[in-house]
Amino acid sequence: MTKKIYLLFVLVLVLAVQGMAQEWIVPDEYKSVENPLPYNLTNVQKGKDLYMKNCKSCHGDVGKHNGLPLVPPPPDVTSDIMQANTPGELFYRITHGRGGMPQFETTISEDDRWRLVNFIRNYNPDVEPVLVEAPPKKAKLLASVNEADKKVEIFAEVENTDKQFVELPEATVKISAKKAFGNLPIGEVLTNKDGRAEFVVPETLIGDENGLVNIVVELEDNFITDQVVLDAAKVGQPKPLPKLIRKEILWSTNENVQSWLLLSYLGAVGAAWLSIAYVVFQIFKIWKAGKK
Amino acid sequence: MEKIKSPEESRKLLDKITYDLTRSIVKRDELTNFWYFILIMFAAVGLWGWGIQIRDGLGVTGMRDYVSWGMYIANFVFFVAISLIGFLISSALHLLKIQWSKPISRVAEQVAIAGVALAGIIIINDMGRPDRFLNVFLHGRFASPIIWDVTVVTTYLTISVLLFYIPLIPDLALLRDKGTDDIPKWKMKIYTILALGWKGNAEQYKLVYHAMRILMLLIIPVGLSIHTVTSWLFAATLRSGWDTTIFGPYFVAGAFVAGSAAVVIVMYAYRNRYGLKEYFGELQFDYMGKLLVFVSLVYLYFNINEFLVPGYKMKTAEGIHLANLFTGRYALMFWSTQLLGLIFPILLMLMKFFRRPLPLTIISGFVLVASWFKRYIIVIPTLEHPFLPVQNVPEHFKHYSPTSIEIMITLFSFMAALLIITVLAKMFPVITIWEYAEEKGIPREIISEPKK
Repeated sequence: MTKKIYLLFVLVLVLAVQGMAQEWIVPDEYKSVENPLPYNLTNVQKGKDLYMKNCKSCHGDVGKHNGLPLVPPPPDVTSDIMQANTPGELFYRITHGRGGMPQFETTISEDDRWRLVNFIRNYNPDVEPVLVEAPPKKAKLLASVNEADKKVEIFAEVENTDKQFVELPEATVKISAKKAFGNLPIGEVLTNKDGRAEFVVPETLIGDENGLVNIVVELEDNFITDQVVLDAAKVGQPKPLPKLIRKEILWSTNENVQSWLLLSYLGAVGAAWLSIAYVVFQIFKIWKAGKK
Repeated sequence: MEKIKSPEESRKLLDKITYDLTRSIVKRDELTNFWYFILIMFAAVGLWGWGIQIRDGLGVTGMRDYVSWGMYIANFVFFVAISLIGFLISSALHLLKIQWSKPISRVAEQVAIAGVALAGIIIINDMGRPDRFLNVFLHGRFASPIIWDVTVVTTYLTISVLLFYIPLIPDLALLRDKGTDDIPKWKMKIYTILALGWKGNAEQYKLVYHAMRILMLLIIPVGLSIHTVTSWLFAATLRSGWDTTIFGPYFVAGAFVAGSAAVVIVMYAYRNRYGLKEYFGELQFDYMGKLLVFVSLVYLYFNINEFLVPGYKMKTAEGIHLANLFTGRYALMFWSTQLLGLIFPILLMLMKFFRRPLPLTIISGFVLVASWFKRYIIVIPTLEHPFLPVQNVPEHFKHYSPTSIEIMITLFSFMAALLIITVLAKMFPVITIWEYAEEKGIPREIISEPKK
């Protein structure tokens, strides 16, 4: 047993030293590959979402250098080690992985991997950042349900510098359904230049037993709005109600009683008491016969 | 039926029979008072215990989460069992036109009334909230086997009372007409009311026979079902020891054993106390002994089936249960009831000597006590083995032993049953006079003629 632990320890040590010692070299042909996706807010934003889901657990919060204490340590997004990479190198490393860094070739699409690269490039000192942590703006959100077409129609306005509300273009609107234990995200939609958007509710959405859904409409995080709740919208599938009480089982309620039990019980008891009543009637007749 | 005697002879004989059979009504001495005192005192002590239980709840009993049926339910099954003898002797044997059992009919009916009345009271004993008793009728569930029990107990009680009362009507008239001055005035008043103006004409006799016949036929299915549905309380569950299909006939057979033993004991008490040696003669004891052997053999047969078949298979839970009975915690009680209450009595009663009054009564005492413990063994050991694994449960939840309150209330039920039998014996003749007189060849006109 101790021998095994000792062997395992040596193995881990060797691997760790190797990992630190050997440099992770990206082949030249990958280094110079250009990012096919444009560097814009949408792509960076998407990349951020992907980072949050797939990378943050090891690499930590951006700029906080709080990645997991692994060997070798996963570098922060803002760190020099990370930012020394060209876009092509970043794409190669995300795609193939090495040692503790997993490969994402099969789990994240190529476009999304490039969006991740866009997100990392946002923190490069040589690149103009598009993702700016601006103070949230005041906005107004209006929404209504078109039950016939199973659509949610949205109109968003934002407060401009003159304290006037104008149409809000290119903003992400999140749509979710209110469930017993929180909101279930069912989709997102971007507003057009008029500040309007339409969201088609998926066919598969399940509502209550009548197909009613409480739809919650929210603007993305950097706007201050109240969420709009559309109560009892008839846009979902009716919820199949499982029968919790089976019919015809022992001790069940009278509505679920076996018909043969009810019949035999009432039949037997009725017959017995009718006979008893008949006997009591005979006693009455004995009394009458005595009067003659 | 003996040959018809002359009117003078008949009148003399009828006077003797009436004198003998009203002795229980007339006789009231120190011993009677003492007997009443004992019964009422112990019954009162039991009622006091019941008061404590109602005040403090069922926590005063030994019943807990797992063993939720204790001594009360065992006692209930016992009382239902002894009440079943009423239907065997006063109906089944009567319909078969068996002569020797006729004087015993009323004794059997007394035992039946006392047994079934107490069975009903014991169920209320077992309720934590007796004030909710009516809910059983208001919100009873037809899908539950317990509903049968509630209705069958009340139906059987009603039929037993009627079957006790209807053959009594001519006797009441006879006492009303020929009763001596020794009979207290208030008793005579009751007889006059209950006799329903009986004149003894042919139509009235016809009606009495008709009503009795209907009741005797009716009590057979009701009597069989009362103990069969009691067994369903157990057999309709999946617990080891209860989950068996022969429980209905097994209970009925056991009931005849317990009831016959009870009848023998009551018979012996009447025979000696009221000087009825001619009426409850050696013949009656001999045949009761034979009947007891017969029903015991049937019961033994069911016992063998009940224990030997699962004893071969020893399925997991069933095996634990059986081992507990055969060699475990309940071995002493189990083997005592089987040997002292069934096997030895059968062997002894096969000999004529042991079917004589005194030996038979002693044997019946053993059989009766054993059949009470037999019910205890049916109810409690099964509940002590819950099927689901139990954890972090206080040790006393897993085992059951009755508390003094439970013993007090059970004692109350015995005393109350004896009190009912005593009151019935003190109120009404313990043998049907007119039937007995007819057997002796006394014509009906003389039986129903008014006092000179």
